[in-house]
Amino acid sequence: MKQIMLMLCLFVVAFAENTKDAVYVSVNGLVCDFCAVSLEKVFGKQQAVQSIKVDLNKKIITIYFKQGKSIDDSKIVKLIEDSGYNVREIKHEQ
Amino acid sequence: MDMNKEIRTVYQHFMCMLLFFNAIVVEARPISYPGGWTVMQKNEMDIHSLHLHYSPSSQYSVGYRLEYWENKDWSFHGLQVNYLIKRWNNMNSQANFYFKNAVGLAINDGSVFKGHTQAGVFSGIACDWENRRFFISYENRGYYLGDIETLFIQKSRIGVTPYIGNYGDLHTWLMLQVDHNPEVANHVIITPLVRLFKGEYLAEIGVSDNGDLLLNWIIRF
Repeated sequence: MKQIMLMLCLFVVAFAENTKDAVYVSVNGLVCDFCAVSLEKVFGKQQAVQSIKVDLNKKIITIYFKQGKSIDDSKIVKLIEDSGYNVREIKHEQ
Repeated sequence: MDMNKEIRTVYQHFMCMLLFFNAIVVEARPISYPGGWTVMQKNEMDIHSLHLHYSPSSQYSVGYRLEYWENKDWSFHGLQVNYLIKRWNNMNSQANFYFKNAVGLAINDGSVFKGHTQAGVFSGIACDWENRRFFISYENRGYYLGDIETLFIQKSRIGVTPYIGNYGDLHTWLMLQVDHNPEVANHVIITPLVRLFKGEYLAEIGVSDNGDLLLNWIIRF
């Protein structure tokens, strides 16, 4: 019984670790790898950001936040605009 | 013979018109993201250049430029500032309009004026439009290097990619570069080239119609 409880606890902890808040941002002007690198570098410097995925085909960047952290939409827009691009839409997913 | 000369003249005029009205970067992204560094090394015809720049913002970059014109035996060392006048971001494309300037020292290494040094500047505009499939660009530059050189050059490119890859894939572009340089015999030089692009790395290789090798590379970090 103890072993089952321990495994259950480990499963819950592992699942919690993998559950990251994500934000999907549609960006205008994403046409090449240099654009993608720029956004990766800019968001990579943010302490709240765990990782970022750039999809050039869909023109969407997915920002994964560290557990319990986030960046508000206005700052996301500013970071993207300061990088030289425009935001079309922001969608949140828990 | 005269006919050939006439055809060649018409052709040269056509290419000049193309350069002029193609008004749109030959230098891929002369400005980086805020805090980004870029190193570019280019070898085109007898012109070799190294440009290392830092971008405090996505609006401008500041950097060191070394340019060496092999046939003329002069070199230029200067501070180059690239300024993004306007960017148009669309869902499937991007266009840019840049202003590029440099101030520095030109050194003539030729036998006549060996070691002659002169303060100099260059200035020009560059513009480009690209989507994931096509690319078009135009750039011009006027040099004023005192009694070492006074020159106006232009270049334009069109490009197409045979396949569209996602971020991190190896992107391949087939391009055609047209240079107008009044200092070379034909005035107009055409260079087919291949651009390979992956992440922070970009490399180009081509051969011009007068047999010169084009070899350029860019690293962004």
